[in-house]
Amino acid sequence: MTRTRRRQWLTAAAAWSVTFALVAPFLWMVMGSFKTTVDFLAFPPVFVFAPTLDNYRQVLADNSFLGYTLNSTIVAAGATGVGLLLGVPAAYALARWRRTAIGVVLLMARMAPGIAFLIPLFVMFLQLQLVGSYLSLIASHLIFTLPLTVWMMVGFIEAVPVEIEKAALIDGCSVLGVLLRIIVPLTVQGIAATGILAFIASWNNFLFALVLANDNTKTLPVAVLGYIGYNSIQWGTLMAAATLITLPVLVLAFCVQRYIVRGLVAGAVTG
Amino acid sequence: MADLSVAPAHVVARRRRRDWTAELLSLPALVTILAVMGFPLIYLCWMSLNRWSMVGFEPPRFIGLRNFAQLGEDGRFLDALGRTFWFTALGLASNLPMGLGIALLMHERFPGRSLCRALLILPMVATPAAMGLVWVIMLDPTLGIVRYLLGLIGIAHPPLWLADPDLVVPTLVAVDAWMWTPMVALICIAGLAALPSEPFEAALVDGASAVQRFRYLTLPMMLPTLIVAAMLRLMDLLKLIDIVYVMTGGGPGHLSETINLYNYLVALSYDKIGYGSAVALVLFAIVMACTVALIRMRRPSL
Repeated sequence: MTRTRRRQWLTAAAAWSVTFALVAPFLWMVMGSFKTTVDFLAFPPVFVFAPTLDNYRQVLADNSFLGYTLNSTIVAAGATGVGLLLGVPAAYALARWRRTAIGVVLLMARMAPGIAFLIPLFVMFLQLQLVGSYLSLIASHLIFTLPLTVWMMVGFIEAVPVEIEKAALIDGCSVLGVLLRIIVPLTVQGIAATGILAFIASWNNFLFALVLANDNTKTLPVAVLGYIGYNSIQWGTLMAAATLITLPVLVLAFCVQRYIVRGLVAGAVTG
Repeated sequence: MADLSVAPAHVVARRRRRDWTAELLSLPALVTILAVMGFPLIYLCWMSLNRWSMVGFEPPRFIGLRNFAQLGEDGRFLDALGRTFWFTALGLASNLPMGLGIALLMHERFPGRSLCRALLILPMVATPAAMGLVWVIMLDPTLGIVRYLLGLIGIAHPPLWLADPDLVVPTLVAVDAWMWTPMVALICIAGLAALPSEPFEAALVDGASAVQRFRYLTLPMMLPTLIVAAMLRLMDLLKLIDIVYVMTGGGPGHLSETINLYNYLVALSYDKIGYGSAVALVLFAIVMACTVALIRMRRPSL
């Protein structure tokens, strides 16, 4: 009895140490965001200090940061919304009629480097004079939000019992009616989880915005580079900006933690 | 054997006419995929056969496979290629054992287990560009917390990390491992939970040691899970760019330049669109070949 008890505590100690090590960079980031420049430049680093909100004030006083936040929100919401609008019916078709072609497309999209789409898209958008537009960013982000949506939603829709749909069809409901009145309401949680994952993927994407955005439509992951100057050490503001960028994602991720891995299998096009 | 004559009338009727419902439902998604993925890929293939630049006044000129031939003589490309494989090998060699180790730990019963598991998701969902910069600060050779912590365990003169030619790649791999090892761990946790318990009980009865149980039961039974995790990591490591771009920009010199970063620079910064397209196609082919090779590994050995 005592041996299993001791073993349990040892496991707990090891597991908690590992977890702490993984979370420590976030703690250091948040801590740093409340430090004055003097505290930041202290060595050995200080762990107890008088917190200041100056860094956040500086980040938020800069109108462009709010603009970049708006850009990120518009692009992520657009790519998520369009992804759901197109992806849910496709997932329904895939789940009930078993067309395997899309599965191949999904795997290709997962394997393909983002740059393979970005080069031609950049040239095409340049010719259409759309480089720097929200449209180009949203369209390019569909490259990963759409496969992610289809992949996630097929799983959720397959879990809905077919009998309900059959009954509705016999009662004279159309296929579209079944989709809107039965599938969508019954998978509403799945749709929310999928939407959140797509939003996170779009919010975090760096390369696509680096290529397709201009100064006015830049998203946060690209904009944050501006805080690492060559001559000045703006570490405090950088930490505050990094905190503001990652915080929404971390909160959203916590809501859908059960589905994170499934989402990453489909939709982490990083480059 | 199915007998069509007893099938309900509407089923027979449906057999006669082709049912287009599925196609109609997936048509919008399919058209979009063709527009943002299919057509660009075809265009990419065409561009790779041309000398192509956006800024110059020269129109694109067809040069056949000369872009691909040039790749063999491009030292920077070949270096980046080799380096990308080095990144990938280091990444897989660190992520998989550590991920499985964390999973074995989190598979045990202990107080606070579900909170621990929930916290594991943080590194992989945080914005990589932002966290890369946070790591730059933490790894700072003079003021960084990492230097301080190493000093506590007696390492007074730690290396320069990102500025050290020999250590820049391992350092970047370590940051990448911080982000993605938890994902490997979560995949393995799910795999472990799905293992049958009978073989382990039998092994306990037969007096197998913990090492024996791991070597002859856990490891072989977890192999399919590990291959899935390896496949995901492989695909992303071969395409690594985000953290390299923000943390070193490929430096010092080009010593941390991955093939994806080189591809981005050559196509979109140096404006060699045609040549960059050829690089992109080669990278795509490499990712595909490696992934397929890994999937094949699952069969013959067992």
